Amino acid sequence: MSSRDLQHQVTLLELVDRVLNKGVVLSGDITLSVADVDLVYVGLRVLLSSVATLEEQNAAAIAQGGLR
Amino acid sequence: MSVEDGPGWYLYGVVAAGSAVDDGDVSLVSEGPVAGVASRVPLEEFDPSVLPERLGDAAWLEQKIRAHEQVLEDVLRSASVVPCRFCTVYQTEDELRRFLSERGSDLSAALAHVEGRVELGVKAFVDRERFMTGGAIRNDAIRELSERVAQSEGGRAYLEARRLDQLITDELMQFKDEIAEPLHERLAGASDDAVRLNLQRPEVSGRDDEMLLNGAYLVSDQPRFGTALRELGAEHRDSGVELELTGPWPPYNFVPAVLGAA
Repeated sequence: MSSRDLQHQVTLLELVDRVLNKGVVLSGDITLSVADVDLVYVGLRVLLSSVATLEEQNAAAIAQGGLR
Repeated sequence: MSVEDGPGWYLYGVVAAGSAVDDGDVSLVSEGPVAGVASRVPLEEFDPSVLPERLGDAAWLEQKIRAHEQVLEDVLRSASVVPCRFCTVYQTEDELRRFLSERGSDLSAALAHVEGRVELGVKAFVDRERFMTGGAIRNDAIRELSERVAQSEGGRAYLEARRLDQLITDELMQFKDEIAEPLHERLAGASDDAVRLNLQRPEVSGRDDEMLLNGAYLVSDQPRFGTALRELGAEHRDSGVELELTGPWPPYNFVPAVLGAA
């Protein structure tokens, strides 16, 4: 995994802050409730922990002689 | 509410009727002065009985969120758009049309506010190392203490270094508080509308530096905004301030959260 992938994940979080919390809320037949948005952030924690894992892997790779 | 299986309509955003939207994956559903940018989706994918499970599925979530943003960014290249919140779904085309027709005037008003404009994001960070050598060193107490730390040895040096660290942290916090609003005001002056957003934690911003400003700006004159940003960057570089520009975004932060309420 490269730092570019890491950046990719971080940008997703930036995006999530906008598409989930901003934008006009319409009276759709299906819309996300506050509870649903909470669920999204739980799902995102999985992403966040994978970001942390990536960082650890990168650090380990550097310690072992550098990233390819 | 019961949702029957079958195709529904996912609404990404709303544009003025007659807008040129060149994206094969989405349809324009025109109703009076406005048109919904929408695509057919299997309703079972968004059924309230399975939605909570989907929302916990990071891979599904990422794909849908990126698709939502991609459609809006494609539209933004050729038309002004009122972005909808993630996962706005109608069961039938009639339901979608009924909504567009009922809220046509509110949607037109929201469109008028963002017409010809895009949202730009600016995040300001301060680099602690550069702040210490540039900004904080103007503080006499810090300068004297750092000289003493350089001359001290052993336990005393350790304690003084700890105290110095705390002084710099306090100074940095004060600096961040003082400079955030003037930075925002300058950028707002080059924008048509502006809003300060919550500061992001390092794991979201992707940077170790301390964030001091997270602003969103509704901009019609991008070169003018760019000039203001560069000038600010040059003025505050010595204090360790770094400005990061994102966008153009669909104007998520400049449409009413609830229609008719703005």
